[in-house]
Amino acid sequence: MKKNAITIIIAAVLLVIFVLLLFTFQVPQSQVVVVSRFQEPIRTISEPGLCFKWPWPIDSINRFDQRVQVFEDQFSETYLADKNELLTSVYVGWRISNAKDFFPKFPGGSALAAQQALQKIIGDAKSTVMSRYSLPDLVNSDATKLKFDEIESSMQKAVETQLDQNNYGISVEFLRLKRIGLPETVTQTAFERMKRERAKYVTQAESEGTKEAEIIKAEAQGDASKLIAEANATAIRIQSEGEAEAAQMLGVFEQNPDLAVFQLELEAVKKSLGQKTTLILDETKPPFDIFNKLTAAPATK
Amino acid sequence: MSEHHHPDPNLAPETRDAGSQALAEALRSSFAIVKVAMAVLVAMIFFAGFFTVKQGEQAVILRFGKPLGEGEQMLLSPGKLYWSFPYPIDQVVRIPISQIQKIDSSAGWYPMTSLQEQALDYDGTEPPPGGNSLDPRQESYVITADTNVIHTRVTVTYHIENPKVAIFGFSRGANHEFNLDGISNAVQNAADNALVATAAGFSVDDILTQHPGAFKEAVTRRIKALVLEEKLGVRIESCQVKSLPIRQLKADFALATQAQENRDKLIQDARGASNKILADSKAQAAIAVTNAATTRFEYVARLRADVSAFTNLLAKFGTNTPLYERMQLAAAMPEILTNSQKFFLPRRQDGKARELRLELNREPAENERTTMNQ
Repeated sequence: MKKNAITIIIAAVLLVIFVLLLFTFQVPQSQVVVVSRFQEPIRTISEPGLCFKWPWPIDSINRFDQRVQVFEDQFSETYLADKNELLTSVYVGWRISNAKDFFPKFPGGSALAAQQALQKIIGDAKSTVMSRYSLPDLVNSDATKLKFDEIESSMQKAVETQLDQNNYGISVEFLRLKRIGLPETVTQTAFERMKRERAKYVTQAESEGTKEAEIIKAEAQGDASKLIAEANATAIRIQSEGEAEAAQMLGVFEQNPDLAVFQLELEAVKKSLGQKTTLILDETKPPFDIFNKLTAAPATK
Repeated sequence: MSEHHHPDPNLAPETRDAGSQALAEALRSSFAIVKVAMAVLVAMIFFAGFFTVKQGEQAVILRFGKPLGEGEQMLLSPGKLYWSFPYPIDQVVRIPISQIQKIDSSAGWYPMTSLQEQALDYDGTEPPPGGNSLDPRQESYVITADTNVIHTRVTVTYHIENPKVAIFGFSRGANHEFNLDGISNAVQNAADNALVATAAGFSVDDILTQHPGAFKEAVTRRIKALVLEEKLGVRIESCQVKSLPIRQLKADFALATQAQENRDKLIQDARGASNKILADSKAQAAIAVTNAATTRFEYVARLRADVSAFTNLLAKFGTNTPLYERMQLAAAMPEILTNSQKFFLPRRQDGKARELRLELNREPAENERTTMNQ
């Protein structure tokens, strides 16, 4: 009895698995599934989980990745409004927004086929939009005049319009310029111009360096002279202030000019007779006449 | 059933029992083995369901394709033991969330082999230049604001900030795999756009020599803005920009760079000289002002002392002027005469005046004195 129960359980499990395989399918996260009945799409499931279906050949399922895929457009020539020729390529973030529309439009729901269709639509949009803009809108030393965002937005709108009109079931999340280039024939001219610019730059840099160095030195000399002149003026002012202060004190000496003169002369003599001074003294003049007086005194006695 | 069961009459009952017993025994053994095998299998399946999440990773369990949990709760972090049903019921998707991702931009750089790339990184050796023109389909570059062309490349390091967006929001190719190829491709394209759009607003000299830092910052800003705008779910850690002149013009750019360096050196030297001149003049000015202030102070102080002395002497001088003068002179004599060479000129006996002849020579210069001494 026990053996039979185990056998029945195993058989039931196998049967359940078999039935599940026949009647269910998984929709993983990030996928969208189109269920077709006798090859006619009947419903779209984009929510992940376990779903039921009738077994083949009644129902069949087609899976699509609904994540954003980034497609890089071909690097191709476009003409600008100012007759300049540029090579451009863009990248597009696109995703399947309506699998039911997408599925029949492209053989087997192929993403590759969808990108081929996108390539054509993008090519048309690039030509149309770029022809409305000039080179300075794409290359400009004044960054505020660059119109990258505007150009990209216009291209995206043009692509979206085409996708909607064709009912491709594709939405564009973002579209941006990936590369910009000059045609090969133009690069040769650009090289020659760049060489000339470099040569001019060399000459200019040399003369600028010498000139600027001289200006810097001259300015420094000027500043230094000014500084010293100001300092000298300050010094003179300080000295004059000192003299003015001294002048206020000179009135004291007027009380007895003779004494003042005597004092000044005495001070002058002290200062002027220093080292290596040779004095020839007259013994008859005071105070050296004292020697004569001393020698004369005993003789008198 | 029993009606159809007719034992072989030719076999002895003992023989029949032995055969049945052996068969029954064999079947029992087989069943036992199968049961053990099944138990082992179930155990293996059970234990194989345990898994851990590595450091720097997060994981999501997809049950029948649907993530378990909502929002942040669906993300499994390291430090725990998890269990999932075997495939196809559950699928564990691992996401290297904190691992730094790195991509190089593809627009703006010339094609190189890995060996050439290593040589460029190692010692700056580039591949030889092409012809006199540049085929943009073969060698990529960007156009600068002054309509020059230049090679430039940005290396972006980033990490996954929103694993759900990075894994379940972007894909590459048609294989439906859960990996980072899609998000990596999207970040690379954003980097390409940032380089092309930013270079279009900078001159070639700005990018190469004058403001490479500003160019790098502008590229980084644009990449970050695009990442937010395109909702890529990553956080940019850093952007390293490398720019080189077109190889065909390398020598011309080298000359220009040299000229610029020379110019900068001249200016730098001039600034150095200027600083010295200004420093010297400041010192000179300070000395002049200080000397003036000192002189003034000394002069006034001395005068003040003289005034004080004069006031004190005034009374003595008025009492007996000749005596005072003699006293002052006598007091000053030692000071005056101490360091002087003195000659007394005695009076002639005959009372006539003496004639004194002096031979005056100028003081010999220092070098003349040295020569004379030798």
